[in-house]
Amino acid sequence: MLRIVLTGDTLSLAGVLSREEAGRALTDIRGRLAASAPGRMHLDLSGLERIDSAGVAMIDQLRQELQARGLEAELTRVPAQVSEALKLFSAPAAPAPTPQVRESLFYRVGDAAVKAAHTAWIMLYLIADTLYFAVVGLFNRRGIRKGEFINQSILIGVNALPIVALISFLIGFILALQSAAQLRQFGAAIYVADLIAIAMTREMGPLITAILFAGRSGSAIAAELATMGVTEETDALRSMGLNPTRYVLVPKFYAITLTMPLLTVLSIIIGIGGAMVIGYSYLGIGPKPFYQEVMTVLFFRDILTGLIKSVVFAWIIALVGAYYGFSARGGSEDVGRVTTAAVVASIFWVILADSLLGLVFYFGQGLEY
Amino acid sequence: MEREREMREIVRVRGLHAGYDEEEILHDISLTALAGDVTVILGASGCGKTTLLKHLIRLYVPSRGSIELFGREITTMDEPEFDELLQQVGVLFQNGALLNSISVAENVAIPLEQHTTLPPELIARLVHTKLRLVEMDQALDKRPAELSGGMRKRAALARAIILDPPLLFCDEPSAGLDPTTSAGLDYLLLKLRDELGMSMVIVTHVVASIKRIADRCIFMDQGEVLFSGTLKEAESSGLEKIERFFREG
Repeated sequence: MLRIVLTGDTLSLAGVLSREEAGRALTDIRGRLAASAPGRMHLDLSGLERIDSAGVAMIDQLRQELQARGLEAELTRVPAQVSEALKLFSAPAAPAPTPQVRESLFYRVGDAAVKAAHTAWIMLYLIADTLYFAVVGLFNRRGIRKGEFINQSILIGVNALPIVALISFLIGFILALQSAAQLRQFGAAIYVADLIAIAMTREMGPLITAILFAGRSGSAIAAELATMGVTEETDALRSMGLNPTRYVLVPKFYAITLTMPLLTVLSIIIGIGGAMVIGYSYLGIGPKPFYQEVMTVLFFRDILTGLIKSVVFAWIIALVGAYYGFSARGGSEDVGRVTTAAVVASIFWVILADSLLGLVFYFGQGLEY
Repeated sequence: MEREREMREIVRVRGLHAGYDEEEILHDISLTALAGDVTVILGASGCGKTTLLKHLIRLYVPSRGSIELFGREITTMDEPEFDELLQQVGVLFQNGALLNSISVAENVAIPLEQHTTLPPELIARLVHTKLRLVEMDQALDKRPAELSGGMRKRAALARAIILDPPLLFCDEPSAGLDPTTSAGLDYLLLKLRDELGMSMVIVTHVVASIKRIADRCIFMDQGEVLFSGTLKEAESSGLEKIERFFREG
């Protein structure tokens, strides 16, 4: 327990000045000395039985505040034990944090432009490296871990199969349900099959698969590469004469390039299957007429469109994940940051690419597309 | 004499058995660390030193045995009581274990912000004091990722001693440091013992460091305590494993 007594120009502290007391004591003394005129003040510490580092910090803080008000605080009758603690823990005030300088608008725009250009340059480098090593790797397997392609194909593709199937079924089911409610009013219920077939093949199949891949595989690629960077594994690979892009990324690139179109086809078929359930149960269209209607509306170029999109999306997911993974700097918190950024950026670029490809296919093949 | 020794026992372990899953790593460990001493737990890699240390701070629960800190049994202590006790204990982890997402000063301030009612100006001052004590006051605003291994260790030490704990546990303080930095850290630990009267339990296998700091040694081998005594007694114990450790270490 700390006792504080103010007599004239002497402030006496007695008892224990520890971290439990220091905060309260400082507030108390501030109140008592609020009206003191400038001059000399004596801090009598003779009654102090024990003091810890928080107590010393309190005395330092008090002296600094009094000095700022023109009150010179002198320590008197300091016991030996307290004196030792003061010698050990007494320190000048902590430096004030550096104020944040707000840059001008032009500076910030210019800075953002330079950073964007730098990002684009690094990305181009990564794309070139990956495509080069992917092509070279087809003929020369040196520098790529044996069995990694199969392993990655299972991780990226096979393990994603149940979730892609389930989500695709539900999307096909919901789309059919929503469109059936409208089309049956015009006696055009059979066109649910046309609508779902085209939507799933050209848009929804590739897009659902890509978004699921971005969440599953894009994040995994970014997190793995970022962790490898943080734990110096990529440096270790380089020191062994191995290129991390070739050794780590290329097998994933092969795997995603192969498995994503396959899963996209699966997504399209299962999505149409989901719609078929609605056709049969809600619209009274049997599986056979539904199937025949689907086959009349779908052309090879629709399937090709979906497959081309799926390959482009696969490359975006792998490369964006790799870009963010390789860009991780610092410690473990950066792994989380780049992983999140990779998923968000992948989804954004996938949707942007989908829009651009949609325009190309639409105008490139005439409005009847 | 025996009574006086018992009064000085700050850590006391009796018949400790522990392990992971089905595998027992520590077999019937008994040891004591005395107040004001630097007690070094040494032994070859994989002998169970770090596992033992983590049991002493209850990060792991033993399968049986007793662990007392400050004369209080911790294996059966309830959570709030143990949290209270932990305020008297500082821990320096092998890699510092600073939180990477915040600055050095914010790292060091965590125990003060969580366990005291000190106002922000006193917290800032204390953080500065402790970082100055470990010669890291120039790195207040830096992120841990911007520091070298030795600097991270010193910053982590400032965090470990921020509440003036009477007992400090250190896991491999010399690991990954060059001999000069390692020696600097050892002298800093000795300074804390001498000037703050802090007791320490240090896990290490670095012989040069052991010779600099150890008051007492506990030599572990394959999950058992092979020897316990002063450094001089250890070196002249006549035990082949210990002699080889000091000779080749």
